[in-house]
Amino acid sequence: MTSAGAATGPLGGLAELGSALAARRVSSRELVEAALARAAALEPALHAFVGLRAERARAEAAESDARRARGEARGSLDGIPIALKDNLVQRGEPTTCCSRILEGFISPYDASVTRRLVDAGAVVIGRTNLDEFAMGSSTENSAQGPSRNPWDATRTPGGSSGGSAAAVAAGVVPLAFGSDTGGSIRQPAACCGVVGLKPTYGRVSRYGLVAFASSLDQIGPFTRSAADAALALEGIAGHDPLDSTSLPEPVPRYLEALTGDVSGLRLGLPREYFVEEGVDPGVLARVREAVAELERAGAKPVEVSLPHTKYAIATYYLIATAEASSNLARYDGVRYGRRAAHPKDLHDLYHRTRSEGFGAEVKRRILLGTYVLSAGYYDAYYRKAQQVRTLLRRDFERAFEGCDAILTPTAPETAFRLGEKAADPLRMYLSDVYTVSTNLAGIPGLSIPCGLADGLPVGLQLLGRPLDEATLLRIADTFQRRTDHHLLRPPEPR
Amino acid sequence: MSAPHGDRRVDVHPRYDAVIGLEVHVHLKTRSKLFCDAPVVYGAPPNHAVTPVCLALPGVLPVLNRRAVELAVRAGLATHCSVHPRSVFARKNYFYPDLPKGYQISQYEEPLCTGGWIEIQVGEGERAEAHRIGITRIHMEEDAGKSVHDDSLAGAEGSLVDLNRAGVPLLEIVSEPDLRSAAEAGAYLRTLRSILRTIEVSDADMEKGQFRCDANVSLRPKGSPAFGTRAEIKNLNSFRFVEGAIAHEIERQARILDEGGRVVQSTLLYDPAAGRTRVMRVKENADDYRYFPDPDLVPLVIPPEEIERVRLELPELPDQKRIRLEAEYGLTAYDARGLTASRALADFFEAVARAHGSAKTVANWILRDVLQVLKEADAEPEAIRLEPAAFVRLLALVDAGRVTARSARELLPELLLRGGDPEALVRERGLEAVSDAGLLEAAADEVIAAHADSAARVRAGEEKILNFLMGQVMKRTGGKASPVAVREILARKLRS
Repeated sequence: MTSAGAATGPLGGLAELGSALAARRVSSRELVEAALARAAALEPALHAFVGLRAERARAEAAESDARRARGEARGSLDGIPIALKDNLVQRGEPTTCCSRILEGFISPYDASVTRRLVDAGAVVIGRTNLDEFAMGSSTENSAQGPSRNPWDATRTPGGSSGGSAAAVAAGVVPLAFGSDTGGSIRQPAACCGVVGLKPTYGRVSRYGLVAFASSLDQIGPFTRSAADAALALEGIAGHDPLDSTSLPEPVPRYLEALTGDVSGLRLGLPREYFVEEGVDPGVLARVREAVAELERAGAKPVEVSLPHTKYAIATYYLIATAEASSNLARYDGVRYGRRAAHPKDLHDLYHRTRSEGFGAEVKRRILLGTYVLSAGYYDAYYRKAQQVRTLLRRDFERAFEGCDAILTPTAPETAFRLGEKAADPLRMYLSDVYTVSTNLAGIPGLSIPCGLADGLPVGLQLLGRPLDEATLLRIADTFQRRTDHHLLRPPEPR
Repeated sequence: MSAPHGDRRVDVHPRYDAVIGLEVHVHLKTRSKLFCDAPVVYGAPPNHAVTPVCLALPGVLPVLNRRAVELAVRAGLATHCSVHPRSVFARKNYFYPDLPKGYQISQYEEPLCTGGWIEIQVGEGERAEAHRIGITRIHMEEDAGKSVHDDSLAGAEGSLVDLNRAGVPLLEIVSEPDLRSAAEAGAYLRTLRSILRTIEVSDADMEKGQFRCDANVSLRPKGSPAFGTRAEIKNLNSFRFVEGAIAHEIERQARILDEGGRVVQSTLLYDPAAGRTRVMRVKENADDYRYFPDPDLVPLVIPPEEIERVRLELPELPDQKRIRLEAEYGLTAYDARGLTASRALADFFEAVARAHGSAKTVANWILRDVLQVLKEADAEPEAIRLEPAAFVRLLALVDAGRVTARSARELLPELLLRGGDPEALVRERGLEAVSDAGLLEAAADEVIAAHADSAARVRAGEEKILNFLMGQVMKRTGGKASPVAVREILARKLRS
């Protein structure tokens, strides 16, 4: 391999790069250059990024190297190139949520997660693509155009955090962050063959995450391994006084939970999720094989029931759209972002700014959400959905009385083709069938690669009790110690 | 029906009962806003007292100001409300340029306080009676910013928005429709403001927009139990405007009903210059604000023992103070109510009365002279700069005859509003009472000589005439003679 080839080759995992930095085998500057070079080589086809901050990243990498030279390195993230979904704000940088309505917006403040990562010395190299305002399952709703799946450029990387998933899968960065409202981390992680973690609601501060649905949104990492996810979660988890819904419980040392021992753990398999209908047989086969592998490791599969599962999608789309219709009211052309030219009056300003600024899917959800909150419909839709949400949460509470984690497919199928579902929103919504309940219940969910079906990655989803990310990470890490699915790489483009 | 304010009987309609409910918005006295740490300031340059949170930048989240909660609890307890250990913040959704998030965080289905009352005095003097006015609810919410439609600033085509006020903590205090006249509405507002100031929940300065009122007014035929159609008069920012607007609205609706017409449910604005209301918009159907619980905030939970702690720390309320002053100082109910209209005034009274000894004398001075000075200066009792001890010394000078009451009154405006040493000021102005016996004797002799008739009548037992002669002596001494000394000298001379 030529030196130029080496410069654009995939980066290793987080822990691996961290050790290399610590041992001074590599500098942050070299890692950042490699990441930027890799991005430059792949981006035209991949389109994982909507903005790179090459010069600032180089300067920050140089600072990181200087710190390390002084013996003042800040920890395992210091000097690591990372990427942020373009709905996480960073001071002095644009945030667009891949919407025309936020064109030109530069954030004057840091998200709490950004702050923690930057304080830990991580180097943000760029912002990644998403479905506009995180509404979608394919990144096709991005005003910047879709990202491509590194495994097959004719397919989507999933969504909404498709850019972050693709960036990690393609080896541009070892760590990227996304947000998950109904599966937006786990589903693209599954589609791209990487690890994606949605923490417990409240475990990670939402301050500075541009809201889609406040009671469901949660930030989480994309990594190559469960151990890397544990490291990343330690970096961002914990109470934040700027987020009233953030939880005060102390953050455990997730890495210490990775004992490689799952013996005696009861793995719940929800009857309602393991149905042949609507699920790709290849997906089901890989997931069953993964369960068998964990059984060989000493875990004990048990059947559980989540009887209200069939109401989850409807409930999710009522609550998420209701909250979104209110959360997106602030994009009015008055203070920042796009403003319609030469408005006739106030109504015209609002009408044209929002008509021109929002894409079709965002408009669809704002309309739906406005409707379900309207007088006369509130009780039938929003209030009823909240009641069902309580039932769904109880389903999980009961299931966890009989098991320690729940295992399911992450998505009913592997990555679908670009354009395949774009014209059929309802079909698109159904790709969230395994993931939305997690957000409604507020519990943690993890997706890890568990092999290929027809050459495309399949995701195994692990769901846990509230704040029990440690158990999920332990199971996933144990699985990865015994298998090499997470080591599979997409083919290098030629 | 013509007087906009004053005695309640003036604006009671002969054929209709007015039914009035008030919604009062009060700025809470906090250093920072309700959901972020932007300072609460008045008169700062536009858009300077703001943070990403009150600008509603993408990604920001609200964090509740605990101090505001404590003040709201205090207000609830002071108005005899049930203060709920659990309440919920909700979003009130509507679009307006001075509402940055596109929704206002308020409380809707589960407010902090419900079911209270305050007592107001209706009528004056002998005819005064106490009425209990119900408080439906008190909830917390954030204020909006200000839109400026000023051609000189924004150009004829544009408007400007100042978000300094956006997010300032407010209480909305909703009364029951228990008020029956403009004067009662005025009395309710004054009493409420006095309570809120006493418990230091708000400065309630109407000029700064810290105490604003919306009035709901409807009429029904006398004796009818059913409510008529109501009109809502928005944004009344002085007591006078509230009373004027309500009085006008009662007249307007009465005229419509007299002519066999129908009152249309509408929102009105009051034009104080013209003294009339005008229709802002007619409500075809209720606004749909799409309220729902704010998912960015957890329910507000206040442990009952915390509520009890606030209750124990409440200062004495105006009503309690009035009853105590009556008992402790032997005041009439009327005087006690006058003195407790403001905590500052009551405190001043108590400090002076304790040191002086004669509560009645002090009450008279304060209710007559001090209030007069404040009224002329358009000042609140909080503006009193005179130390109570200094006021006591001034009264002692009067009691001792070293300064006449008239001179003391002359000095009062300056002393009261600027403070200072009464003795020094008396000397500086040369207002010491003339008690030089020789001088007064000579003046008395001159007056007796000049008014021999009157002197003779006093000698014949017409005591009242003595006052006339005293007045003459005072006149000759430029009002500085000690009345006590003059009376003594005249009486001695005319008895002999």
